Amino acid sequence: METVAVKTDPVTGLHSWTWHSPLPLECTSHSAHIRARNQQSVSQWSPLQTIPGWDIPEKSESNMFPQDKVVPVGSNMTFCCIVKEKEDFKEIMYGRQEMSATRLSRRTYAITATNQPVSGNTGTNVICCSQRLTLTGAVVFVGYPPGDEGLVCETRDLASAECSWKKGRDTGLRMRRSRTKYTLNGRDCLEANERKRWWCSSKAWEQSWTLVARNPLGTVHLMDSAQLTDRVHLLAPVNVTAVEVKAWSATLQWSWSVAAYKKLEMVCQLQLFAHELNSTRNYSGPGLSSVVLESLWPDVDYTVTLYCGSKHGFWKWGDKSAPYRIHTKMDRPDALDVWMWMDSSNTGCVFWKPLSVRKSHGALVGYEVSQSSAEEDGWTPVSLPPGNFSYPIILNNGSDITVAVAARNPAGLSQPSTVTTPAYRADSQLSMSELLSTNGSFVLSWQPNANASSGYAVEWVPTGCSGLCPVDWKKVPESDSSFTLNSDSLVAGVRYTVSVYALSTGAPTLLQRWQGYSQEMTPSQSVRELLPNQSGSDVLLSWKATAMENQRGFIRGYTIYLANAAHLELIANISDPEVQSYRVKGLSLSSYKFVVKAYTSAGEDAGATVAIKMEMDTADMLFVGILVPLGIMFCCLILISICCYKKREWVKKAFYPEIPGPKVPGDWSSPQGPLDVKPSPHSLVHIVESPEWDFTKEGLFPVPEEEEESENDNIEVDADSDEPALLRYYNQVVGDGSHGNQVSDSSGSSNTSVDSTQTEITYAGIQSPTSSQGACGGGGYRPQMQSVIGPAEPQIEFEADFQDDGLHAGYKPQCSWQLDSPEAENFSGSLGSPTSVTSSQFLIPESSEEKPQPSNTWFHNFLSGKS
Amino acid sequence: MAGRGTNGRHGSRGHAGRTAALARLLHKECIQLLELYRNSESLPSSPVDGGYLVSIPPLVPQLSDAEKISILHAALKECLRLLEDVITREDAEFSDEDSEYKRKWKTVRDRLGHLLASTEQLLVEGQKFEAKVKEELDGQAVSGSFRLKMWIVRVLQDLVHWTGQTSDTLRSLPAEVEKAPKTMSRRTRRGAEKIRK
Repeated sequence: METVAVKTDPVTGLHSWTWHSPLPLECTSHSAHIRARNQQSVSQWSPLQTIPGWDIPEKSESNMFPQDKVVPVGSNMTFCCIVKEKEDFKEIMYGRQEMSATRLSRRTYAITATNQPVSGNTGTNVICCSQRLTLTGAVVFVGYPPGDEGLVCETRDLASAECSWKKGRDTGLRMRRSRTKYTLNGRDCLEANERKRWWCSSKAWEQSWTLVARNPLGTVHLMDSAQLTDRVHLLAPVNVTAVEVKAWSATLQWSWSVAAYKKLEMVCQLQLFAHELNSTRNYSGPGLSSVVLESLWPDVDYTVTLYCGSKHGFWKWGDKSAPYRIHTKMDRPDALDVWMWMDSSNTGCVFWKPLSVRKSHGALVGYEVSQSSAEEDGWTPVSLPPGNFSYPIILNNGSDITVAVAARNPAGLSQPSTVTTPAYRADSQLSMSELLSTNGSFVLSWQPNANASSGYAVEWVPTGCSGLCPVDWKKVPESDSSFTLNSDSLVAGVRYTVSVYALSTGAPTLLQRWQGYSQEMTPSQSVRELLPNQSGSDVLLSWKATAMENQRGFIRGYTIYLANAAHLELIANISDPEVQSYRVKGLSLSSYKFVVKAYTSAGEDAGATVAIKMEMDTADMLFVGILVPLGIMFCCLILISICCYKKREWVKKAFYPEIPGPKVPGDWSSPQGPLDVKPSPHSLVHIVESPEWDFTKEGLFPVPEEEEESENDNIEVDADSDEPALLRYYNQVVGDGSHGNQVSDSSGSSNTSVDSTQTEITYAGIQSPTSSQGACGGGGYRPQMQSVIGPAEPQIEFEADFQDDGLHAGYKPQCSWQLDSPEAENFSGSLGSPTSVTSSQFLIPESSEEKPQPSNTWFHNFLSGKS
Repeated sequence: MAGRGTNGRHGSRGHAGRTAALARLLHKECIQLLELYRNSESLPSSPVDGGYLVSIPPLVPQLSDAEKISILHAALKECLRLLEDVITREDAEFSDEDSEYKRKWKTVRDRLGHLLASTEQLLVEGQKFEAKVKEELDGQAVSGSFRLKMWIVRVLQDLVHWTGQTSDTLRSLPAEVEKAPKTMSRRTRRGAEKIRK
């Protein structure tokens, strides 16, 4: 219920009041009744008036309201869906968004879309669906009012008007009936209404202009006013032509498509495009249709573009003409920049720089080089192809020559450029200073020279270069005494020799010379000829600096490293580059690897490596290897000798005990006939062949007869032989006395003296043994003829043999015989063995007075104290 | 739709084979167009209420192949008319800016014209069938842009349906029909008449 004040219409006398429903009235039935209120009194309600909705049974189809509404962006709107009879309701979609629906009646459902965004090309669909069908829907067009702005009118033909504006914000309304409609000064703007362009024309110029832009959501009014002469926008010149083209100028003509332009005071701008030769030129005049283009360059392709504007009340430049191409004619080249470089006192080369396009004035066809000397009259010309930029010079008799060089193109020959040979000055003759670079450039300065009437020439060339060298130079005016040699004309890591010459009419005069690097780099190669030289425990490393082209910087010194397994250990840093050797001291005997690196201000090179194995020198080797062992051995011998001398009594007792004289019972003073002592017919073979005995090494074994024979021929004892010394000893002794019997005795196959014709007694022991073997020690010597009791402790292995063999019952083994010879010590295992009892020595000398002399050497004398 | 796959038979079946291939291609493009339109308009995939716009006599088995083709030809003709009407109305109502959807519309229209020309050669001389359009756009109760959009969907649904029917029917033609279409048509017509008798 709403209370409103309603006034009476003065004409009709009726009351009227309009109510705007937020919900389309078609959605469902609406009823209204009215009553009057005056102060506190109210009338009765009028009868209820009902506006039936579309959801009444008579209208059974599905419907949605409102349809095709155009609303501004951000507005809210309510839509209702009336579901057809006998159909269910599922949802209402706003675009792709499912909305929350409110049921208004049996068949009506409603949604409210808030803050609506701008629609797409065909509006925003609101769709009502049942479970199985798309029932109905509506389209809403959400957009903006017109946003056009900036109306400007101008004339192109000095009569009509063309007005244009900016479209502004897109309205978002593309339905034909929703599009923006334009009128200019009340006339429909067809061009804009067809949406072709934001432009409107008028056949006549008017002082003021009003553009109205209107769409369902709003209207915009745009205003503009101006004089025609202030809004002249010229059309493009047509038929642009170059009527006269020369080397340095050209005449350009064009025409206008509007006749009225011929009287218009105009200004024209001409743009020239060429490679690095772009320029813009201005020309003015009434109805301008021709200009002369000055200051062009010969043999250059120009592209010309032209546009003009009204000079008085200039509004804007007119449209550009189509590009037009002009190619200027050729002209003679400019003079060359010539320089001469001497690489010896009588040879050199004249150089000239290639001419740029601006200076060649046409493609060059070659150069002409002429030279003259004081001795020869006239010039000697030489033609060179265009690719040449140098010519060798040879001085005869050391006299100066003058060279003139000129360039030729199809238009003619340039002015010749002359240069006279400068005096050659070798680098070694000069005290050159080191030139340090600044940001890769050389900043040069020199004392002004009064003779430099033609200025100065700065020349730079890679140091040490010979032959075809990249000589470069720059000529400096006389007024200057400094020059900056930029890094773009220098190569990093290359040493340059920079010279300044004073130029005059004669030969250039050298004023100053430097050497330097624009940018120092690490050497590209390591030091050369790195050699190690051992001197005792020291190693002298020596090397040579790498070639100059590989140094790539001034060598500031060297670093010496000792290379270990994983790293380099710095052992020296030589900051004087002239020092090219280093002595590494105090090295022990081992292998070493040294790395020597040269360094510049940029750093070290990769390094040269050398390895050396420290060895003793010859004197040391002699001393250590020979003399020292000998000395030690000698000392040992002396010590042993002294010791033995001091203990000679003990030694004598131990090794050479006194052999007591035999005590013979009875009278042995006169011989009664030869003593015929026959050895046991068993000999020793029987014993030796005892199967239990191992003959391999340690014991005695029978010597084969063959060996005996051979060995009998050689009396000397082989000290290195493995043969048991016992047998040799035996053989030696036997051999001394019974050579013939040995061979013939086959019965014994041993070493018996069975058939000895001189000795009938088997020698069983020479000395009284001092060993613990009691069998031999206590009894002393006992001739075998004595029928004595056997040894107290016979060898077990032989005990049975002795018992069985009655003939040997009184036999005493020569248990101490081995002491005759030091060699016998090795056979201690056979001591007491029955196998070693055989001896051919006579136990009793021929003279009983004589004592046995086992040996008669200096050693015995020494031991016995004899001299 | 069953049996509308590619089997390669049309490659050796002359004109009818080519026509069947054309119908199959058009059928696919109509499906794509309907899908494209639904996506661009954010329309649900549920069918639009009202059924097919174009109606024809039922394609009973007693009809000859040539008669079936003639009936379908009449239906396609009505589809083309509806399609051209839709394009005109849409251009008039909405933006005429170019888009993929608009280009597809025109491709389908042109191909439908070719299919009609191609099937016309398979028709029985002197025998004409007519298809009817149950509803017209102007006769609907509520006017508005949404109605036009729903109408476009219904036209596209009809296009999908009738091009599919045509494709299936053309594929099922016996080989002898295509060797001499006109002659075969007469023979078929006589055969069909015999069947009717």
